[in-house]
Amino acid sequence: MMRIFVIGVLTAFLVSCATEKKPDDQEFLKSIETIEEKTGIDEEKINSILDQIPSPLESSVLLKESGSKFNGSLLNQSENLPKYNNNFKKALNLGVYGTDLGYTNIYRQNQISIEYVSSIKSLADDLNIGQFFDVETIGRLATNSKNLDSLLLITTLNFNHINHYLQTEGRDNLSVLLLTGGWLEAMQITCQVATKKPSKQLFEKIGEQKIILDQILELFSFYGDDASMAALLKDLEPLKAAYAKININYTYKESSMEIVNGVGVIKDNSTTTIDITEQNIEEIKTIINSIRTKIIS
Amino acid sequence: MNKIAFVILILSFFCLGASNIADQCDTDKLANNCIPKLTAGFNFLKSYKVDGSTKDKVEYSYVFMKGTQYMINLCANGADTDGVVVSILDKDRNKVASSKINGQIVSAINYPCNASGIYYIQYTFEDATSRCGGSALGFKR
Repeated sequence: MMRIFVIGVLTAFLVSCATEKKPDDQEFLKSIETIEEKTGIDEEKINSILDQIPSPLESSVLLKESGSKFNGSLLNQSENLPKYNNNFKKALNLGVYGTDLGYTNIYRQNQISIEYVSSIKSLADDLNIGQFFDVETIGRLATNSKNLDSLLLITTLNFNHINHYLQTEGRDNLSVLLLTGGWLEAMQITCQVATKKPSKQLFEKIGEQKIILDQILELFSFYGDDASMAALLKDLEPLKAAYAKININYTYKESSMEIVNGVGVIKDNSTTTIDITEQNIEEIKTIINSIRTKIIS
Repeated sequence: MNKIAFVILILSFFCLGASNIADQCDTDKLANNCIPKLTAGFNFLKSYKVDGSTKDKVEYSYVFMKGTQYMINLCANGADTDGVVVSILDKDRNKVASSKINGQIVSAINYPCNASGIYYIQYTFEDATSRCGGSALGFKR
């Protein structure tokens, strides 16, 4: 009787403790450690920077609200898809098309959106991340302009899942390229609009991208051994030089806060001023166009 | 023999209890629950997992842009925020926003950013029973 009791207790002990860390989890953690040891890359630092970079969707919303009309000629045409025949170009252009999809969604250009969804799915499949892109749902939502909120939500969620997956799989270099492609495309669209229809708001939007560029350059510094990424970093250097002429001055002042209908409403009293001229915008636009042309060709 | 059995029994209950507590803190679920709770008009940007079981605070960073209005909400097990507080700190760690206002903890903050830069989104725990939650970030112009 005693023996049965001890066996039962031992079994309960082993089963309950086994749920703490499964063999699969251990293997996965081991594989991550191996990648870090092999490459010397600080995955945590990279992931932290990747997570702080804003969505290109913010720029598209700003453009629409500034009164700028939809301009499909600013986007990378989906016909360019067959040109992207290696993972480096595929990841960059996945980011480019992602921004273009966000732009077409914001302007409710449903037919064009569907073309981008198809191109994105194709690139994502080639990079073995197609399972995170719910083409069926996105396609269905894109056919009805009333579904804009759901469409933006599911598109953002899909890209978040892709980035998270790439980071946890130790393929964060692809995540960096995806993000860089998306950022360059958003910059290109914003610069084109800002030069055609200048406004202080758009100029400041371009100027404050200095903060993002610094983060992207820091990300690229981790991949000096990768020839393709090193070449792209070299292409980004003139952009860094152009942005060195732009000053962002930050002044902190304590915020005021109150509760309105159960929500904390903040009044941010801090300010930034951005010193940027039309000449600066022109220079940035030219450099961005040159880099982007290389990427999408 | 009886003593050995007793020790094993105590250990097994301990392990079982620990794994159950871990299972209860489903940060993925809580973060996902928070997304639809963003106020209408805000576009979803990111969701955050808030697991404070082994640390005093959970921190993420994000670049907030001048002229954009952000909303961060909180979801926890059970009612309200269960003592989880979200604060936004600037790059010099000055506090610019908090969900604890005049001693009251609210489940969402609306932060119209007036200064572009890198900010820290920090989650802390005040008398929290589970130290577990989720959060979503949205924006509108």
